[in-house]
Amino acid sequence: MSVILSIPVLGFISILQSAVVSRLPLNHGTADLVMVVLVAIALQKTSTVSWQWSIVGGLFTDFISGLPFGIFTVSYLIITGIAHIIRKRIWRFSFLMQLLVVLSGTVLTHGMAYMVLFLQGSNISFITALQVVTLPSIILNFMLSLPIFILTQDILEQVHPQE
Amino acid sequence: MNIKFPKSLRIIAISLVAIGILALALSGVFTTFSRWVVSPMTSIQTWVSLQYQGVENFVSASQDIREIRQQNTELEAENARMQAQIVELQQQLIEFKILSALLEFARANPEHQYIGASVIGRDPSPFLNYIIINRGSDDGLRRGMPVVTQNGLAGRIVQVTATGARVSLVTDPVTKINVRVEPSRSAAVLSGSITGDITLEQIPQDADVNPGNLILTSGLGGNYPANIIVGQVTSVRSRENDLFQSASVQPVTDFSDLSIVLVITNFEPVDFIPLIPDSGTP
Repeated sequence: MSVILSIPVLGFISILQSAVVSRLPLNHGTADLVMVVLVAIALQKTSTVSWQWSIVGGLFTDFISGLPFGIFTVSYLIITGIAHIIRKRIWRFSFLMQLLVVLSGTVLTHGMAYMVLFLQGSNISFITALQVVTLPSIILNFMLSLPIFILTQDILEQVHPQE
Repeated sequence: MNIKFPKSLRIIAISLVAIGILALALSGVFTTFSRWVVSPMTSIQTWVSLQYQGVENFVSASQDIREIRQQNTELEAENARMQAQIVELQQQLIEFKILSALLEFARANPEHQYIGASVIGRDPSPFLNYIIINRGSDDGLRRGMPVVTQNGLAGRIVQVTATGARVSLVTDPVTKINVRVEPSRSAAVLSGSITGDITLEQIPQDADVNPGNLILTSGLGGNYPANIIVGQVTSVRSRENDLFQSASVQPVTDFSDLSIVLVITNFEPVDFIPLIPDSGTP
């Protein structure tokens, strides 16, 4: 998939994230649609531009979010790195790997957000953050993972048909 | 032997025979005979007629079904249009009610100037209680301007672009607002949290704070105008060994369902940073 294509696609997904997905919380957690899409792309063997897509997705989310600029870009790049390591180590990819990377990614992005807020002087209980924000977010991300994984796989197979 | 009768005689004879047959028929002599002949004919005619009616119904019914289906399709389309119109009108009604309440709030607080804005999004991070509104610097919005709803304080603008702005809600974990408790007029600090709950901190131990007391902005600190309602005290925690009391507050605004807000445009936040002496200077 072209890098240029990532701009309208991830731009739309970022808007969808802010306008719709963030308004549908489970307890106080929300799904991270952009991250789930980026993980699904990074784990596909036919994907060749996942790093570039991660940068574009991270920049879009950074523009929308109130967290310090760069937090999401760095998080998404690390998550893409994790996905690439798993993709190389495991010969046959299974959907469980998607869940594993989504789990790591959610913990990572939330950990970084937590650290930033902690440094800004916010007195947030770690246990409360884990219970009311991170765990519900993981559940929501898991729920989104399967349809997005299948959709991404289908689209990539159309773009890069296997011989 | 061929006997020839005159023509007139033949006519008379035929007429007499016809009259005779009619007379016999009228007298009922032919009833049994006619039953033998007519009954099978009636049955046959009934059967033929029924078959014809069946064919006629089939032909006309198929045409009717087509018409009914067409009408049904048209009605379904009309129904869908009406349903969409109802949803749109309900949405407009909700917006109208909100706008009416906002207008009432603006009339009740005429000391401020307002710009209405729609909420178009929320922060992607669940750790931040931010909303995004569809008005920006092109509309005269600036960083630090307070944002209110028809019920009371919602937050303040923390970032502005040309066509949009990000608003930090009073429930945001980083938010600290100087408030006072009515009717005791005790000063306190309001803090948000990731759970969306807001708490009152730094309430003096001797302050008389009770559940049901109103929380209003005090104007101290220069970040918010004074006397905007924020919430109501629900419970107070006071321990003898603590320096301050604390209290839980029920916000007056439902932050999970924000759709339209008002930005106070004639309030200039005070920047105290230049007045704070540098720690390195003598």
